[in-house]
Amino acid sequence: MLVAGIDVGARNVSAMILKDGDMLSCYVLTSGEEGATVSRRAVQEALKKTDFDFADLQYIVATGCGRNSVPFAHRQSTEVVSQARGAFHLYPSARTVINLGAESSRAIRLGENGRVEAFTKNDKCAAGSGLFLETMSTLLEVPIEQMGELSLKADGFEEVSSICAVFAESEVISHIHRGVPKGHILAGLHRAVAGRILEMLGTTGIKGDVVVTGGVARNAAIIKELEKKTRLSTIVPPEPQIVGALGAALIAQDRAAKS
Amino acid sequence: MIEEFGQYRPSRHEKAIAWKEETGGKVVGVICCCVPEEIIHAAGMLPVRILGEHEETTEADIHFPTNLCPYCKSCFDQQLKGRYDYLDGLVIPNVCNMIKAMYGFSKLLLKVPYVRFLEVPQRLSREGVDFFTRELARFKESLEDFAGKPISAEALRQSIDVYNENRTLLEKVYELRKKSPPPVSGTEAQETVISSMLMPKEEHNRLLNQLLEQVEQRNDSPGDGIRLFVSASILDDTDFLELIEECGGMVVADDMPMGSRYFYGLVDSSDDPLRALADRYLNKIACPRKMLPEERLAFAAEIMNGANVRGTIIHNMRACDPHLYEYPLMRQRMESQGIPVLFFRGEETETEKEQQRADIEAFIEMLEE
Amino acid sequence: MVQSTSARKSLQTTLEVPTLRKAYYARTQEDSKKGKKVAWCSNNIPSEILDAMDVTAVFLENYATVIASKRLASGFCAAGEKVGFSQDVCGYARMLMGYILARDESPEAPYGGLAKPDFLLVNSYSCDSRLGWFAAMSRALNIPLHVHDAPHQPDGASDSTLNAEYTERELRNLVAFLEKQTGTSFDPEKLRQRLALARQSSDIMYDINQLRKAVPCPMGSADMFTAVWPAMYLVGTQECEDFYKRLQAEIEERIAQGIGIVPEEKFRLMWSGIPFWYDMSLINYVEQYGGVVAVESFYRSRERRLPPQDEDPIRDMALSSVRQRAYPSSIIASIDDLLDAVKEHKIDGVILSFNPSCRMLYVSQMELQKSLEERGIPTLGLECDMADERTYSESQVKTRLDAFVERLLAARA
Repeated sequence: MLVAGIDVGARNVSAMILKDGDMLSCYVLTSGEEGATVSRRAVQEALKKTDFDFADLQYIVATGCGRNSVPFAHRQSTEVVSQARGAFHLYPSARTVINLGAESSRAIRLGENGRVEAFTKNDKCAAGSGLFLETMSTLLEVPIEQMGELSLKADGFEEVSSICAVFAESEVISHIHRGVPKGHILAGLHRAVAGRILEMLGTTGIKGDVVVTGGVARNAAIIKELEKKTRLSTIVPPEPQIVGALGAALIAQDRAAKS
Repeated sequence: MIEEFGQYRPSRHEKAIAWKEETGGKVVGVICCCVPEEIIHAAGMLPVRILGEHEETTEADIHFPTNLCPYCKSCFDQQLKGRYDYLDGLVIPNVCNMIKAMYGFSKLLLKVPYVRFLEVPQRLSREGVDFFTRELARFKESLEDFAGKPISAEALRQSIDVYNENRTLLEKVYELRKKSPPPVSGTEAQETVISSMLMPKEEHNRLLNQLLEQVEQRNDSPGDGIRLFVSASILDDTDFLELIEECGGMVVADDMPMGSRYFYGLVDSSDDPLRALADRYLNKIACPRKMLPEERLAFAAEIMNGANVRGTIIHNMRACDPHLYEYPLMRQRMESQGIPVLFFRGEETETEKEQQRADIEAFIEMLEE
Repeated sequence: MVQSTSARKSLQTTLEVPTLRKAYYARTQEDSKKGKKVAWCSNNIPSEILDAMDVTAVFLENYATVIASKRLASGFCAAGEKVGFSQDVCGYARMLMGYILARDESPEAPYGGLAKPDFLLVNSYSCDSRLGWFAAMSRALNIPLHVHDAPHQPDGASDSTLNAEYTERELRNLVAFLEKQTGTSFDPEKLRQRLALARQSSDIMYDINQLRKAVPCPMGSADMFTAVWPAMYLVGTQECEDFYKRLQAEIEERIAQGIGIVPEEKFRLMWSGIPFWYDMSLINYVEQYGGVVAVESFYRSRERRLPPQDEDPIRDMALSSVRQRAYPSSIIASIDDLLDAVKEHKIDGVILSFNPSCRMLYVSQMELQKSLEERGIPTLGLECDMADERTYSESQVKTRLDAFVERLLAARA
């Protein structure tokens, strides 16, 4: 049985192909085109690495903020459910999933059997989102992949106290003008971001094991700050960006098996 | 014919004005369901609940800062904009900070001929009933002055009967929702309650009786959906419940002022009328402003009993401290019973609805698993 | 990085308060150890009654201001938010819930923490937030809660016998609750004595506020925000009366010598609402420009107290509270009150604090500001929480104060 899951995010689109329940192939591309086109392309690129065609797919589930713009999907799944599914499949000990996406983030609490018990979302505030970090990357002239490393190497931090991303930006600018070392600024920034992320957890609560997904999970400094503040160790999948697509594909698998 | 109930809210002003013209009677606005409407009704006047609108509160923003109850602000805004100019009176009870403040602001900024503050005790108790009974006697006298004629004990008893009938009928409508699938949606049920607050009770009773006769034969039943319980601080229209039901949920039980809290608990018709009213309106309205958490949870449990609820959605309006304090306990209790909870802090902004939709969809999908 | 947040005081007597306060909190701890009953109270719970019955009253809202003045509020608030209390709710409440339910997540508590309570007393008639807060504490601490009520009387003083009877009944309920908790009987004579002392202090306070009208202003809000403490928390004691006698004498001396708060008084301001406890030095800020914050709305004494209304002290309290109101309880009364203060104290401009988490006062601030501006009285609105220092942007506030002063000085030129 061949199924596909597509995660249409604000920044990236990922496609995951499962064959008889096993991960066969996946592909991530940066979106910029219209939803239907880019989703199809992601699936096709993933399929290129296999012996199969688009027509061989028996069930397709779309998730992510753009899930309603995938006309060829058989079903839509919300990010909360697909992220939970994907994370639990990879790590059955997962009881909290923190998904850090380009525009929004969410904290999900799982039960013993992987069922979602509660979730909170943050899509009002930019701080902590991937796009916010990209803005900071441009401002500080540090490539985004290096932000975490540079921050971890710093021997101190310059506090970024603003709760709001807009004010945080002006705070960072003023630090730059004062000649504060970039590593220090980044360290302070990452602390603040981790704080914002944890505030979001609110009454969802946080239980181990904690799995962090989404592009922002690649930032080792933010991960370290989360661990420090929660006093829990976290698991970051090797490919944190495909967890949603994996979850969607697993849901597609279930649906295909039922019909 | 259930759609008829939904017409009342949008046309409430025209209907109230028409009522005045037909009967020559006075219309008295009330804020909060702890005002004993029966006394107003017995005076031959029409009590109407003041409601807000989804509009920018441009007039109210001149007089009030931002972080306040959006419902009260919107109600006052509507009054400042002249939508309620036909009101002859306003009765404002001693409840939360915001509503209390409305008394002074109404006298300062509006031109309503009769504005009365009702000293409702701030805690549930037996002693409070003594005081409240006498306060209601004072209120009755002031209404008599305003009406220019006395309110007889008989008239009061009759009004109590009419209102009790309304409560009983609304409860019957609510009971229907325990069926699977329910013949009446959450949205429709809320419409029956809101419309009750806007028209003469006798007429509403007639409509409800008709509804109860016909509803099980309807061929446009709302169908199945994930069975949900909604607990809300104030939802003065059906938008939120409609949104939930659009996303595949079905609200089968509720705990809200324009829902079960309005009609729950009868007035004891065997007792002295004012005392009976005082007791019901003080001690039976399940509002966290006065009712302590244990009793509130007991109320919620009673409402949910037999409704077979899969999940709970709690909607607390921003700046509503009484509800926001209660929230952690309500959530804990639900979750300990295996009922997942989705929480919203309502802000009444334009973008809010789409964010809520995304969360509700996720919640429903999560419950479907 | 945190500088001193205290206001600079002009009077020696004011400087006694921190010692008095520290001693008070220490006493409550000792009382608890001695086996006296400790009640955690909301403001306006009649402590004269508790005192007469040998029950130790701890006023939580005051402790919250102590936490806030040490800039520890954000830590406690964050802890309170963690256990589910929204950022919307009263900052004081959130802090205390953080202190109770999330001690590990909270900073170190001032004075070594609060004396352990035996029960809770709340009145929610002035503030709807308190009931939910105290109910949550009752559950968390598993101790009894007594709710005390009184009529609102938005139109002010009243001669209603019904209101007086209800107030009296509620006071007697409170007494009955305390008798049950302590196992002792209430002695009316002890209460009578305390009420007499309270009246005396109150009258001195009224005289002090009359004296403050002098030009130059002998005592401003920088002092009064601290100096009001004994009147609120040492009510009905000789200590309290003596303190205010000393304060009055000092003010009279300053007036005799023409001593003001600044060398040359150029303008007088009023502060409406609760100050920002984490930066009281803000009250002194305008002094660099020759300005003074001469008077405040919240603690200002408005009237001389009525004489005893009855021989029975409980009935006296009930009648007094119905026939005379300490604070305006509707916007109409608040506007009149504010305009009266502006006139009496020769005020040139008003600073209004907009504290979003204290809705009781917050709801009126915009209309009050409007009423002043309509009458040509310059105003400045500052929106910050009164306790949670995370909401404070010092540079922003000071920039706005600078602009306000410019406006004032230009208007006077």
